[in-house]
Amino acid sequence: MDKQSDIVQGTLDMLILKTLALEPMHGYGIAIRLEQMSKGVFRPNAGSLFLAIQRLQRDGLIDGEWKATENNRRAKYYVLTKKGRQRLNRETREWGRQAAAIARILEAS
Amino acid sequence: MSLLRKLGSGLRSLFRKEKVNRELDEELSSYFEMAAEAEIRRGMSPGEARRAVRLEHGHVDTTKELVRSAAWESFVEILWQDLRYSLRGLRKNLGFTAIAVLTLALGITANTTVLSWMSATLLNPIPGVAHTSDLVTIGRGDRSDFPTPPFSYPDLRDLSERTQTFSGLLGYHEDYMSLTGVAKPERIYGALTTANYFDVLGVQPILGRTFLPEEGIRHAGAAVIVIGYAVWQNHFAGDPQIVGKKIQINRHPYTVIGVAPRDFTGCKTGLRTDLWIPLSMDRDVWGSNRPDYRGIFWLNALGKLRAGVTKNQAEAELKLLMQGIVERFPEDHRDSPNEISLDPLWRSPFGINGYLYKIFPMLLELAAVLLLLACANVASLLLVRSVGRRREIAIRLATGASRKQIIRQFLIESLLLGLLGGTAAIVITVWTSRSLGAFFPPSTLPLTHDAHIDQRVLFVTIAVSIVAAITFGILPALRSSSLPVQSVLKEEATSVSLNLHKSRLLSGLVVAQISLSLVLLVCAGLFTRSLQKAQQSDPGFEASHVLLASYELSPAGYTRQTGAAFDRQVLDKLSALPGVESVTLADFSPLSFSIHTDYLQLEGYVPQPHESMEISRAVVGPNYFRTLRTSMLSGREFTEADTADSQLVAVVNQAFVDRYWPGENAIGKQVTDGPSRFTIVGVARNAKYRMLTYPSEPVIYLPIYQSYHSTQDTTIHLRTTGDPGTMASSVEETIHQLNPELPLFNVNPLSVTMQLGSLFARVAATFAGSFGLLAMLLAAVGIYGVVAYTTRQRVREIGIRMALGAEKRGIYRLVLGQGFRLTLVGLVVGTALAVAFTHLLKAQLFGVSETDAITFTSVGLLLAVVALVACHIPARRATRVDPMVALRYE
Repeated sequence: MDKQSDIVQGTLDMLILKTLALEPMHGYGIAIRLEQMSKGVFRPNAGSLFLAIQRLQRDGLIDGEWKATENNRRAKYYVLTKKGRQRLNRETREWGRQAAAIARILEAS
Repeated sequence: MSLLRKLGSGLRSLFRKEKVNRELDEELSSYFEMAAEAEIRRGMSPGEARRAVRLEHGHVDTTKELVRSAAWESFVEILWQDLRYSLRGLRKNLGFTAIAVLTLALGITANTTVLSWMSATLLNPIPGVAHTSDLVTIGRGDRSDFPTPPFSYPDLRDLSERTQTFSGLLGYHEDYMSLTGVAKPERIYGALTTANYFDVLGVQPILGRTFLPEEGIRHAGAAVIVIGYAVWQNHFAGDPQIVGKKIQINRHPYTVIGVAPRDFTGCKTGLRTDLWIPLSMDRDVWGSNRPDYRGIFWLNALGKLRAGVTKNQAEAELKLLMQGIVERFPEDHRDSPNEISLDPLWRSPFGINGYLYKIFPMLLELAAVLLLLACANVASLLLVRSVGRRREIAIRLATGASRKQIIRQFLIESLLLGLLGGTAAIVITVWTSRSLGAFFPPSTLPLTHDAHIDQRVLFVTIAVSIVAAITFGILPALRSSSLPVQSVLKEEATSVSLNLHKSRLLSGLVVAQISLSLVLLVCAGLFTRSLQKAQQSDPGFEASHVLLASYELSPAGYTRQTGAAFDRQVLDKLSALPGVESVTLADFSPLSFSIHTDYLQLEGYVPQPHESMEISRAVVGPNYFRTLRTSMLSGREFTEADTADSQLVAVVNQAFVDRYWPGENAIGKQVTDGPSRFTIVGVARNAKYRMLTYPSEPVIYLPIYQSYHSTQDTTIHLRTTGDPGTMASSVEETIHQLNPELPLFNVNPLSVTMQLGSLFARVAATFAGSFGLLAMLLAAVGIYGVVAYTTRQRVREIGIRMALGAEKRGIYRLVLGQGFRLTLVGLVVGTALAVAFTHLLKAQLFGVSETDAITFTSVGLLLAVVALVACHIPARRATRVDPMVALRYE
C-alpha cells in the first residue's frame, strides 16, 4: 500500500469508517478486518493506518477509548461518531456516483 | 469549529506531549504484538514472527515517529496555509491594511498606556514587594484626600501587641533627612520605622541585614541605618564593603547595617524613600522624642493580614482595640477622630494611589470605548472590503471550500490585523507609558513614577488584540461567508451590489462609530471645561510674579534661635534686591501638597462627637498676605514685631470663621495649639492651598517667629516686578552669601509648582481630550469610507439619474443626505449613551454639570460638521459623474 496509499488516502479513510460502522474496533482489528473484507487486496501498513486514524479522530469522525481486549490486553477501541456516520453515508453515495461515472468513461473509450 | 479542534489537539499534543506519546507507544506496541501473535498462530516461531512483522510494517519506532510528526505538521501546515493566504491578501491591499492596523493600534494604545500607568501604581503599589494583596494601610477618621499619619507610637505598639488578625503591623514616619559628611550633601527622603518594617513587607536586603527587634525603640549602642540602592550607588559608588561603615545623617553618625534592594523605595506609592532608620533615633535625627508621646500622631501604619482573615474582620478588631485604648487614655485622644479604617494598597489614601484610583479606572473605561469604536471602524472597513471580494469568496465556496473554512480564513486575517495593531500599540506605548512623568511639575516632594511596559501590560495587550480581532472580525466573517453563491456568480460586475440603506449592518456600524465618538467627545469636553473652570477660578492669592525657593535649617545645624535670626537676615537681604516688590517666608507653598495640619481647640466652640479638629495650619512670615495678595477682611496681618517675646497671635480665614464662629467677631478670640494659646488678630480672605477644585476650608496662620518649626522646610515667597524666573540666580547668590553651605532647592515660579495641585485633573483632561479627538477622527474616517464606497457602487444609478435629468444639486443632496441621516441617528443614540455614561464622571468634575448643555450641544454640532465634511467629499465627487462614462462603467 506504500505508493498507492497517497492516491487513495481518502479511500482508506472511508474504508476505516466502514469497518467501524459495524462495531468498535482497535487498530489491529481494523487492519485485519480490512484485509478480510478486501479478500487480501488491502493490507494497510501500520504507519498509514494510524495516520488515517489520527486524522479521522482529529476531524471528530471517530472517537477512541481505552478498553481491555479479549486477550486481556489494553487497546484503544475506536467508535464511529454521529458525524462520522454521516460522512460515511455521504461518501458512500458519492463514491458510487463517481465510480459509475468513471466506469462509463472508461467503457466509452 | 475544525480550526479550534485542530488548535486544541495540536496544543494538547504540545502540552501533554508525554501523555500523548505514551498512549501512542502503547497503541503501536500492542498493534505490533497482536500482529506477531497472529503470525505465531500461523506457526511461526516468536523470533520469526517479529521479523516478519517488522519486514511488513517497518520498525515500531519509525512508525511512531511518522505518526507523531504527521499530527503536528498537518496542524501547522493548515495554519501556515491560512496565514500565507491572509498575508497575501493584506499585502495586496496595503492601504486598507495600513488604515486598519493604525486604527487598531490607536485604540489599543489608549488601553495599554492607561494600563501601564495602572500597573506601575495601583497594581504594583510597593515596587520590590511582589505580593501586596494581604497588606492593608491603616487610617483614622473619615477618608480624606489629605490624610495625616494616624498613630502615636504607644497606640501602634498596643494595637500591634494585641491584634490577632494581623501577623504584623509596621509603623513609619517619612521626612527629609540630609546625608552629610559626603562630598555633596544631599536632601534625601527617609523613614523612621519600627524594627519589623522590612520583615512585615518581606523585603530582604541585598547586603547586610535589616533591623533587630532591640534596635526598634530603645536606643542602645550605635545608631544604625539601612540605605537604599540609589544612595549606595550614587554616594558610595556601590562599595561592597559598605556594611559596618559609618555615614552621617543630619550630622549624626550612623552605622550602615544593610542595603535595600534596587526596586524597593519605601511603601508609600509614588513617593520615594531612600533611607531607613529605627524610630528610636528620632532624637538624633530631629531632636524630638515623639515615640514617648501617646498624643502625637505621626506614624503611618501598614498591616499584614493573617492567612484567612478578611479586611473587614481585621477592621472590626482594630476598631475594638482602638476603642479600648481611647477609653484608657481619653486625654491623649480627645481632639482626634478614633475610627479605624483599612484600605487595600491600590486605594491607600496615603501616597499617590489615593488620587489615581479614582482616575485610572475611569480613563480605562474611556479607552475601552475608544477601542470599541476602533473595532466598529475596522469592522466597517472589512465589510466594505469583503463586498469587493464577493466573487472570490463565491468561487471558493463553489469549488468546495466549506463555510467554516471561509470564516476561519477571515478570522485569521482579523487576528493578523489585531496582532499587527497590538504590536504597533506596544511600540507606541513604550513612549506613551513614560509620558506620565510629563505631568509632574518640579516639586519638593520625592515623587516617583516608573510606568513602563511590564509582563502584565504585554499579556493584556496580546489578549486585547485577540479579543478586538474577534470583535471586529466576526460579523464581516459571518456576513461574507453566507453568500448566495449562485446569484453572486451570475451577477455580472456591472450590477449594483450594495447600498448603504440596504446594509443594516454597515449602517449600524456607522451609527455606532458616531455615537461612541460623541460619548468620548462629551467626556473630553467635560474634563477640559472642568479643568478650565478650575484654572480660571480665583485661588484667593495671586500666583503670577512670585518666585519660590526652599531651604531647610535643622540639618545645617541651626537651632530655633539661630534659625530665626537667619530667616530675618534672609528677608532683609532679599527685600533689598532690585526688582523685589515684597518677600515673605512660609512652611508650605500653595497647591503643592505641602500644607500641614494641627489639632486645635477653639474658644467657644464645642466639637460634635467624632468631629475632627484637625485644621490646616500655615506658618508664615511677616507680609505674607501682602506678598501673596490675599486681602485681609478685618484686623491686621503679621509684622516683624510678632516675635517670640510678644503676644502670641494668629490669623484665620473667612471659612474658619464661617465654620466655627459664624456671625461672630473672630478678632480677639483664643485658639489653643498644643501648649500655646494664640489670639486672633486678623481675618483673611479664603485662599485655596490644596486643590483648586476643593471648597475653601478653614485655615489658621501662625507667625513664623512665634511658632518656629526648625525641622521643616522654609519656603521663600518673593514677589517680583518682572519675570520671577530671572530672579532665581540673584536669590541663590544672596542665600549663599549668608551661608555658602546651605542648599537651596526647588527654585521655581509659584505658577509652575502650583501645577501639582491640578496634576490629576490635567491627566484626566489630557487623556479624555486625546481620546475624544481620536474618536472624532476615526468616526470621520469611518463615515467617509462607507459613504465614499457606497457612492462608488452607485455610480451607474447616479449616471442614470443624471441622464434622466437629475440636477447636480439633487445628486449632491442624495449622497450627503444618506450620510447625514446616519450621523443624526448616531448623534441621538450617542447623546443617550453619553447621558448614561457621564454621571460616572460627576465626582471628578468641577464647575460643570455632567449634563452640561454647552458641552453636549457644541460637541454634537462639531461632530455633525465633521460628518458633513466627511460626506461632502464623496457627494461632490458624485456630482462630477459623467452619465456617459457611468453607464458604460464596467
